[in-house]
Amino acid sequence: MEYEPTIVGFLCNWCSYTGADLAGTARIKHRPNLRVIRVMCSGRVDPTFIMQAFASGADGVMICGCHPGDCHYLEGNDKAYRRFQLLKKLMAAYGIEDQRLRLEWVSASEGERFARLVDTMTAELKELGPLKLPPDLSLVPGPCPDPTAVREVTHG
Amino acid sequence: MAETVEKKKLQIAIYWGAACGGCDVAILDTDAFILDVAALADIRLWPLAVDGKYADVEAMEDDELDLVLFNGAVRNSENQKIAELLRRKTKVMVAMGSCAHIGGIPGLANEFSRDEIFNRAYLDNPSIEEGNVVLPVAEKKVAAGTLEIPHFHRAVRRLSDVVEVEYFLPGCPPAPDQIKAVLLAVATGNLPPAGSVVGASDRALCDECGRSKDEKKVTRFFRPWQIIQDPEKCLLEQGILCAGSVTRAGCGVRCPDSGMPCRGCYGPPPNVMDQGAKFISAISSIVESRDAGEIERVLGEIPDVMGYAYRFGLPASILQRSTRSQ
Amino acid sequence: MNQECRIGVYICNCGTNIAKVIDAEGVRNKVADLPGVACARTYEYMCSNPGQEMITRDIHEHGLDRVVVAACSPRMHEPTFRKALESAGLNPFMLEIANIREQCSWVHDDRAKATAKAADLTHAAIRRVARHVPLEKQEAPYTPVTMVLGGGIAGLTVAVELADAGQKVHLIERESRLGGNLGRVDLTAPYLDSARDLLAEKVVLAETNPRIDVRLRSTLTDLMGFVGNFTATVTHQDGSDTEIPVGSVVVCTGYREFDASRIERLGYGRHPDVITSFELEQRLRSGKMETADGRVPNYVSIVHCVGSRNAKYHTYCSRVCCMTALKYGHEIKSALPRAMVTDLYVDMLSFGKGGEDLYRRTSELKTMFLMFEKEDYPVVRAAEADDDCGLLVQVHERLSGETIDVPADLVVLMVGMQARSDSDQVARTVGISQDAEGWFIESHPKLAPVSTPTEGVFIAGCCQSPKDIPDTVAQARASVAMVLGFIAQGKVEVDARFAQVDGDLCSGCRVCNELCPYTAISYDPDEGRSEVQSALCKACGTCVAACPSGAITARHFTDEQILEQIEGVLAWSTSQP
Repeated sequence: MEYEPTIVGFLCNWCSYTGADLAGTARIKHRPNLRVIRVMCSGRVDPTFIMQAFASGADGVMICGCHPGDCHYLEGNDKAYRRFQLLKKLMAAYGIEDQRLRLEWVSASEGERFARLVDTMTAELKELGPLKLPPDLSLVPGPCPDPTAVREVTHG
Repeated sequence: MAETVEKKKLQIAIYWGAACGGCDVAILDTDAFILDVAALADIRLWPLAVDGKYADVEAMEDDELDLVLFNGAVRNSENQKIAELLRRKTKVMVAMGSCAHIGGIPGLANEFSRDEIFNRAYLDNPSIEEGNVVLPVAEKKVAAGTLEIPHFHRAVRRLSDVVEVEYFLPGCPPAPDQIKAVLLAVATGNLPPAGSVVGASDRALCDECGRSKDEKKVTRFFRPWQIIQDPEKCLLEQGILCAGSVTRAGCGVRCPDSGMPCRGCYGPPPNVMDQGAKFISAISSIVESRDAGEIERVLGEIPDVMGYAYRFGLPASILQRSTRSQ
Repeated sequence: MNQECRIGVYICNCGTNIAKVIDAEGVRNKVADLPGVACARTYEYMCSNPGQEMITRDIHEHGLDRVVVAACSPRMHEPTFRKALESAGLNPFMLEIANIREQCSWVHDDRAKATAKAADLTHAAIRRVARHVPLEKQEAPYTPVTMVLGGGIAGLTVAVELADAGQKVHLIERESRLGGNLGRVDLTAPYLDSARDLLAEKVVLAETNPRIDVRLRSTLTDLMGFVGNFTATVTHQDGSDTEIPVGSVVVCTGYREFDASRIERLGYGRHPDVITSFELEQRLRSGKMETADGRVPNYVSIVHCVGSRNAKYHTYCSRVCCMTALKYGHEIKSALPRAMVTDLYVDMLSFGKGGEDLYRRTSELKTMFLMFEKEDYPVVRAAEADDDCGLLVQVHERLSGETIDVPADLVVLMVGMQARSDSDQVARTVGISQDAEGWFIESHPKLAPVSTPTEGVFIAGCCQSPKDIPDTVAQARASVAMVLGFIAQGKVEVDARFAQVDGDLCSGCRVCNELCPYTAISYDPDEGRSEVQSALCKACGTCVAACPSGAITARHFTDEQILEQIEGVLAWSTSQP
């Protein structure tokens, strides 16, 4: 069967979840790969959730909030934006590719935009394949270094 | 040896896995108390201080030991083998110190693959003389027979990833007073429920830190040497990346009291699933700016986010304890 | 998961809305054996009376303590099902909705994949609901004072009606006079009554009623608190602020007209005799129907849909222009009986009561109607010296297929309505959303047309979308009914979903203190702990995510509830190892 990525979406109640509902009422078709979890505000999204999503099998995570300046809670999306800055770096250090984590602004009227975001991210993740988390944490001992594979020594 | 043991004396073993030796030294730092321990208990294995062989442990009955204080992470096959052996022989297994508890400093190696580590240690290291590359091999036949060294695992694991653990005694190293308290608890049978973190508070370090705390608005982050700090004021408020707010108290506030930020060695408070996740969430939340570019600049100046987020706890992070990684 | 809970799971077919794409029975079979599920059923319409009765009966017969409904968006029927739970004696918060219509059956075609997704969402809801705890209702008093933003016909109606009902109103108007856009109009369509007459009475009533506090040249600059208990900060022209406690705010901020100079070919701004409909109204009111150089116009040409129904400007219909243009046919003919009026339209939308009649009457006055393509505006140019008119309007007439030069001394552009440029500021201040065109969004387009997602904030009139006077007044009076409903109750239910600090875990680090936009978090220096004042908290959860001790809980959006959902949506995901 063709590989289908699973994406976990955290959508703020006021803008993005409403926008996703609008995609529904307007029957704007999109890929069925996103699983939406409703939060009151993108500012509620704890980096812990993203890590748990990846650990539990998500191939990608999309956080959606109101556009900057339009947050129902005035500045919750701004907090989401800040966390995302460090979260991106941390995910990169874990070896998780950039395309697997997105922060997007979707207003209550942007059903079309929401649908296209889902499609784009799904396509990108399909290209990327399933998430494999390095390192291999198995307790099986690895092979010793192969002396024949000694690379040229570069100092500094 | 076993038959000479008086029944009522506590039977204990102290062992180190991938560790620096600091935990063993912390046990010695209990000063005169260690003499009481010696009177109270038979120390059946303690590579640092007592002559005891693995063969002696193998010869024990199962559950013959009352307590094992295991410090150090599980990095290689020897660490794992002895952890499993001691687990069989003891009633109570204590993961002592940050390395056994949450992976510790050695756990930062999990940022790299086994091959990268080997390359760095044996090939790409500036201290290696050109043309004089020596690589370890697990087995080597010599005239006297076959020499073996432990296998290097692909990653550092916590003790609890390898064997069941009754108690966790955090710290790098644990405060000597906390070590005393644990030994006394075992001696008196006054034990908390299995799985507990002992010798630490449920609150974060800020609770015990004497520095003044105000609303937090940071416009720039500093490394400790980049700023002349106000000795009275919360370090985080001064922009110094202190992990105290995301770390259990119990250490006695040793670092902040000496002008150094908390690095997180006591691990996360009970409701925090991932110390690094909460650390970045808290740190980024207090930047005082609403300008996207400014926020990016301020946060962008934090070097080595992984190192700050998980100085002591990378193997305990959600992503590295995930079954998906195995 | 709590193995002891007894969850009832109900999967709605929604007629065929869900069932045509999702195998509801398949979803049911997949979730029926999950831990904690006591019964699982499918039904045609869960929101119907028999559907709700099915739930309440099962609650009694199966001893259910939790309910999952997989149906439409929770924004639709969460309140409905909460009431059903309550009627059966369950705490309303022991409910979780899985949105398998708006976010599943309506947007996917692949039956297998949509069904798998619906099962994942239902699974997540089951895992989440197992972590739900009953939340007690809290009540707060309702301050029977209403703030009305905008002194146009909508705002005036709200203010006068509320005052007539004996209620205190603060009417905030940013301009120096009351009346709004209607104050710029001469007669109204379709019955040609005077706008002045409509307004004057209301303005006098507003200005003289002691229960109405009119504040001109003032704006609302801050709104803190919650329904029934807002503190509104009104900033006056001199820069001074007044803080006013109010229970509700009715937003009636209206619209502005489209800037006709954006459509260059219409010549507005270049030819002084190309004027907007509002400029015509001005001339009609003053009785000076003449061209820029003081001549009596022999030819008047009216152009419809200026800025409306056009992909380049605004795609929507401004709703009043056709009727207003027909009205002009009358007004011009009565002012200048010998003038020839040409009406250049796209589609003649003379809908509603009296509309078709007005069209007929205007036709009888020998107005010439010419139809143009909506993306193809007429081109206005100066006439030649030997023409008997000042301007020529070139139009590609659709019905004849010919290109016609229409003579004109005066060209009237029927400028459409658009959201005011400060509407985003208003939206932000009162905490409501705007659509892509800037209009304020109502809670439900049909069932809750004047409510907004922010309880206690209502919208009426053209700030919601273009509309005529009857619709505007109807909305204004509808919001009066909503406000009086609150006042009659005298109290409001406070959201039970506030954040809470666990004092046993709080270390007093104060990371959260600065984060709350509602200043709901305070620090107790004696205890060394932070606290959330639940009445001020709006439950965004920002402080919860930031708390480095995990000491703050977002009630009904707890970490464990969300983590269960995460694991629930992923438990059956295909790519899991």
